[in-house]
Amino acid sequence: MTNKAARNLFIFGSLFFFVIFLGLTFDTMGKLDKRAPEITEKVNAGKMAWHKYDCIGCHTILGNGSYFAPELAKITEKKPKGYLKQFLMDPKAVNPGASMPKLGITSEEADNLLTFLDWTAQVDTNGWPPKPILASAVGAGGKESSAGQRLYQSMGCSGCHMINGIGGTTGPDLSRVGSTRDRAWLAGHFRDPQAYVPKSAMPKVEAPDADIEQLTDYMLTLK
Amino acid sequence: MSIKYQSQKIAEHFYTFAVILFLVQVIVGIIAAVQFIKPDIFILNFNTIRTLHINAMVVWLLAGMMGATYYVVPEESETEIWSMPLAKFQFWATVVATTAVVLGYIWMGLNPQANSPIMGITPLNEGREYIEAPRWADVLIVISVLTFLFVNFMTMLKTKKWTGIQGTLIGGLTFLALMYLPGMFYTKSMVKDQFWWWWVVHLWVEGAWEVIAGALLAFMLMKVVGAKREVVEKWMYIEVGFVMFTGILGTGHHYYWIGTPGYWLWVGGIFSSLEPLPLLFMVWDAFRTTRDARNVENRAGLYYTVAHAIFNFVGAGLWGVIHTLPQVNKWTHGTQITTAHGHLAFYGAYVLLVLSMIYITLPAIRGVKEFNSSRAFASFWWMTISMVFIVLTITGAGMVQTYMERLMGLDYVAVKANYNLWFWILRAIFGVGFLYGVWIFVLDFFKLGREPMPAAIPGIEKA
Ligand code: HEC
Ligand code: HEC
Ligand code: HEM
Ligand code: HEM
Ligand SMILES: [Fe+2]
Repeated sequence: MTNKAARNLFIFGSLFFFVIFLGLTFDTMGKLDKRAPEITEKVNAGKMAWHKYDCIGCHTILGNGSYFAPELAKITEKKPKGYLKQFLMDPKAVNPGASMPKLGITSEEADNLLTFLDWTAQVDTNGWPPKPILASAVGAGGKESSAGQRLYQSMGCSGCHMINGIGGTTGPDLSRVGSTRDRAWLAGHFRDPQAYVPKSAMPKVEAPDADIEQLTDYMLTLK
Repeated sequence: MSIKYQSQKIAEHFYTFAVILFLVQVIVGIIAAVQFIKPDIFILNFNTIRTLHINAMVVWLLAGMMGATYYVVPEESETEIWSMPLAKFQFWATVVATTAVVLGYIWMGLNPQANSPIMGITPLNEGREYIEAPRWADVLIVISVLTFLFVNFMTMLKTKKWTGIQGTLIGGLTFLALMYLPGMFYTKSMVKDQFWWWWVVHLWVEGAWEVIAGALLAFMLMKVVGAKREVVEKWMYIEVGFVMFTGILGTGHHYYWIGTPGYWLWVGGIFSSLEPLPLLFMVWDAFRTTRDARNVENRAGLYYTVAHAIFNFVGAGLWGVIHTLPQVNKWTHGTQITTAHGHLAFYGAYVLLVLSMIYITLPAIRGVKEFNSSRAFASFWWMTISMVFIVLTITGAGMVQTYMERLMGLDYVAVKANYNLWFWILRAIFGVGFLYGVWIFVLDFFKLGREPMPAAIPGIEKA
């Protein structure tokens, strides 16, 4: 191959691939709006707040960003809004061990941010993030599980609480809760956390008395 | 070694700026690493420190490439730079704009409310990774880059010696300037935001910058071992050609999970897994060309050049390809695996590129025939070994994260705070080793050619 031929290969080859890329971009742009919900003013206001506070400097969203803090695109599917709002406005008040600083987010900005995160949660991401394939290992650990334990799993308590090293970190660790709290406190707290812990960010447990009873039984076994 | 054209000296301005920012980048990198262990250790939060870390990096690498270009173009065109005042102006304007942007980041870090949007635009920080620089700064950056391209183009026009090297170099730089534009407009959709954002980030590091690297590699091979232009340029065209053929559609490896159509899984998977090939050509090219070289005057320059080719392939090619297929990326996307790759790729491809250009051109600029290369080697080994260990450490953290968080479903914070704690501690320790290497390099940069040769002083201590 002569130098000139090599040069032409480089120039025209690059142009060729760039044109294909432009074509795919054009096609993609036409399809994106159908793969996500409508963008309201409030969603956009939330996105502006997202940029204003540079959330991407700690978090990823749709998997891109920084790796210092959890992925947020689907967070509103995992945790209740009331809790998230309280966390956004003052993380350390919700969880004294939080690393996220208090950024000065107002109540309105927090609502907008959560609307925006609701929007990202509904984007069609070709199935990302995938469901953990070893999740069953995390659950009962092979042991026979009690009714209370199953309720604890199905009600998403482990998203916020940790028991024996498994679960979330935003609420207190419950591994020994049976030795620090009694039956009345636990059951009462489940029905109305804020009556027991002022400004508690824990969502009310909306369940029949029998279930609350079983959850409490389970808590009391944790010593 | 000495320069043929006095105006090539402008390169040193850019190098000095680059070297100082390199030091700053690594110091804040260590602060960021420590914040993984103790988040509240510093007045500025992690996000601000990280922004400073990656922006300092982008700016100093660009400054290094600009300096290198101001050196290469007069040499290839065989004439002085078209307008020195304009080139100097461009340099100082870049320094002033960078300083203003940095002060803005710090201000916003101390008081986030200062970044409240004015007419829909955040004035201090755009809140988009790598392109945090606010809109007014984007405009200044574009003006600076256009001035830079204009001066070099006019220099070429003076003699019209369209060599392959400078043509490819200026082509890569023009592509770089164009690919900054897709990051300069606001979109209400986070999906479109990320779509265009990747045009900037991906088409820079796996397109434009890699073309610039190919052109500079060809130049360096000619300089250090006197390789023949025809051969070097032909291989350069083939290398940068394949970079573009695979890299442009390879952008698809960022369009798997952000809300874009499923066909990108095929396009991105196929083309990006071919991306390591041209980088492998470059390694082969560097070895083939330098294998039989005898009596190389600039051993440090040769060393860095070959190391650049190797680590470009390892960091970008190998550490890139391991997580580029959708089947793997589905699990590793947005984990510490990405950070590990980012570090080795930037270090191998671009840090070593700029440092090789400095070692090859600075002696000539300073007008020295020989220089003591012991510090150059010492800094190379301190930096490279530390970086390799940082990357292995973070790859380990990424594997633990992928397994425990993604496969087992453990909580993100639990994995970060408990299982990965030792990896963060090790990264910080190796980071100090890296800083030591950078420090030796900075000393060498300022002392090179300004002290007597070692032969004259018996028993000189090691660097
Ligand atoms: C300085 C880094 C930092 C910044 C900036 C930051 N976060 Fe966080 N964020 C964290 C960390 C770390 C956590 C994990 C919990 C903890 O340790 O505080 C977190 C947790 C969260 C959570 C709770 C997740 C859960 O599972 O309970 C939400 C929601 C959140 N951040 C949203 C935001 C939003 C929205 C912004 C921008 C307005 C933001 N964060 C900015 C570091 C940050
Ligand atoms: C969205 C996060 C969240 C969810 C979901 C959640 N909690 Fe909580 N929980 C908290 C927070 C925050 C606290 C600390 C404030 C308080 O004590 O009310 C807490 C406190 C507790 C306490 C008191 C611990 C102590 O010793 O003070 C118990 C017990 C508890 N939660 C059990 C549960 C159970 C059982 C579930 C599931 C039905 C659950 N939590 C769901 C956030 C959550
Ligand atoms: C010199 C060239 C390269 C540099 C400097 C580089 C750098 C980076 C950086 C910094 C990121 C993270 C971006 C972010 O912050 O989100 C990234 C992501 C990525 N890179 Fe590279 N890269 C290079 C080449 C390559 C190559 C050749 C491949 C593939 C063969 C590759 C594959 C990837 C993939 C798949 C991701 C996405 C990771 C994820 O899903 O989180 N890179 N690269
Ligand atoms: C002392 C050495 C260094 C230390 C301790 C360090 C530390 C860090 C830390 C803690 C982060 C944040 C990662 C995260 O979000 O999880 C980061 C990001 C980054 N650093 Fe460094 N760094 C160092 C040197 C370098 C060098 C030499 C380069 C490149 C030339 C570099 C390029 C980057 C890039 C590109 C990112 C963004 C990564 C991504 O998004 O994947 N760093 N660094
Ligand atoms: Fe890429």
